[in-house]
Amino acid sequence: MNRKVWIIYQKEMLDAIRDRRSVIAALSYAIGTPLLMCLVFVVLIEKFASPDALYINISNAELAPGLIRQLASQDIHPAGAEHKAKAISLIIDTDYPKQMHSGRLALVQLQGDFSNTQLASDIRRVERAVESYAREVAVMRMIARGVAPQVLKVLDVQVQDQAKPEAKGGFFVGIAIFTMIYAVFISGMNLAIDTSAGERERNSLALMLSLPIRVRDLLLGKLLAVTSFAFLGLFMIVIISKIAYGFVPWQELGFNVNIDGRFIAYILAFSLPVALMAALMQLFVSFMAKTFKEAQSYLTLVLIVPMALAMITGYDLGPELLSWLPISGQQKALMEVVKGNDLPLEPLLIATAITLSLCALLFWALARSLKSEKTIFSL
Amino acid sequence: MIVVENLSKRIGRVQALDGLNFSAEDGAITGLLGPNGAGKTTCLRTLFNLLAPDQGRALVDDIVVAEQPLAAKGHLGLFPDPFGLYERLTPREYIHYMAELNGVNEAIDKAVQETLALLNMEDIADRPCKGFSQGQRMKTALAQAIVHRPKNIVLDEPTRGLDVMSTRKLRSLLLELKAQGHCILFSSHVMQEVSALCDRVVVMAKGKAVAQGSPGQLCEQTGQSSLEEAFIQLIGSDEGIAA
Repeated sequence: MNRKVWIIYQKEMLDAIRDRRSVIAALSYAIGTPLLMCLVFVVLIEKFASPDALYINISNAELAPGLIRQLASQDIHPAGAEHKAKAISLIIDTDYPKQMHSGRLALVQLQGDFSNTQLASDIRRVERAVESYAREVAVMRMIARGVAPQVLKVLDVQVQDQAKPEAKGGFFVGIAIFTMIYAVFISGMNLAIDTSAGERERNSLALMLSLPIRVRDLLLGKLLAVTSFAFLGLFMIVIISKIAYGFVPWQELGFNVNIDGRFIAYILAFSLPVALMAALMQLFVSFMAKTFKEAQSYLTLVLIVPMALAMITGYDLGPELLSWLPISGQQKALMEVVKGNDLPLEPLLIATAITLSLCALLFWALARSLKSEKTIFSL
Repeated sequence: MIVVENLSKRIGRVQALDGLNFSAEDGAITGLLGPNGAGKTTCLRTLFNLLAPDQGRALVDDIVVAEQPLAAKGHLGLFPDPFGLYERLTPREYIHYMAELNGVNEAIDKAVQETLALLNMEDIADRPCKGFSQGQRMKTALAQAIVHRPKNIVLDEPTRGLDVMSTRKLRSLLLELKAQGHCILFSSHVMQEVSALCDRVVVMAKGKAVAQGSPGQLCEQTGQSSLEEAFIQLIGSDEGIAA
């Protein structure tokens, strides 16, 4: 490395390590996020693994004691004074006992707001319980009439889930990896602002540019320092995640989120170009700002883009194109690694090439802008 | 030696420099005197290639700045206004950093120590710059400008905001550097400072050098008894000038 780049890098690192604001920014996300996510995962898993008792409005419950018993065995109960009902109603028709008795269709209405996503799974749960009761009664009726219930069964459908246990946690894995990759954007941000907009604010930028050093050496020194901070943040969050996620009871959902040596090596390697791009993007935006605060508000807006990309990928919502793009490409590849699948090498290489090309473009534009008097003196 | 030849620069709608010509010799202190907005800082920024001239050229030790900016900057030391210190570094670290960036490769620690001693800064050398007084800041800024012993030292409004003791210290240092043969160029709008220090004064107004010579020559040229009167006559107004 060029000697002057190394000198600038050393100074920037020393300056940053002494800047409490930069260090706290880098550490708080890396340490706090895995712990917080751990807590969220534990709560979510508990909810998935053993659903709570469900209380609904049941009209004319006394007319259908058999159905009510079946619902109760699924932990679905009529609401009472102690338990408030969810906005789901099961209305048993007044003719229900008569119809059931004579073996005819008995009317049961299930009412609720089907567009309400919070209620959707509960509505399905009630529906399944009612249907299962209906099947049970049907079987009994057939037996009573001397017909083997097997006649109802036409196909022997055997479902085999071939997903590896690791793959079942796709949603959780996506979120966990998203929080890790996002660390490269958060950890170096404060330093990126301090070394660019901060430099301008304390009037040292013009002095630096008056020295006999190349603009690209100055930039490279700063870039490497910001990237180091971003990368350090990533390294810490990965290690802390490895420890913290060990305490989440994944097995209750029948899978495991395994942060092993292979995953750590991969995430560090794949995220290096992303860290470089994050640092360059932040430096680019911050050098356009006159003050620290101005840069902060610009960056808050700009950071929505990587966050959106990572979130869409985490939830697996986006199109195939995302595998080829920076951030989402690396994230998708890592999700495959955690799921125990083969590494999607081709999309990953393309995503990395696009990331590095963007880096080159940003570096070129930044070096060019720092040679412009308009940027230096905010003319 | 610094030479400015027919330098013109327009910034926005303002003609900041308009055919400026002057030279600053080695072993002499040259003052750029002019009211606020005369183009002094623009001229100094052009010397460091921070601004590209529309016309004309600046030379530092016969190197054309616009053609070989890095080489030219290697012959310059800048005392900027404002100082732009790194608050979290100590003067020793800061001066060391600037020495390295200015191309001092050998015996850096010795050069830094000598500069600290020259400016009587040993007592503050290892304290972070944060919380420094204006005088201590001035010393640190000056130390970084001279640590690499540049042949030419450029100071932008060096005494702005300094107390009497710091100003005296700065003056004695500039005289010492001059005696060592350095070319010293500084911009100022403070009359007293210029008349007390300068061997040669370049009077600037509206981006031009309206007169140049020793303070005595300027008085003679205008038929006035003091530099202040001479100056007012030369620029046609005393607006923007401090006595």
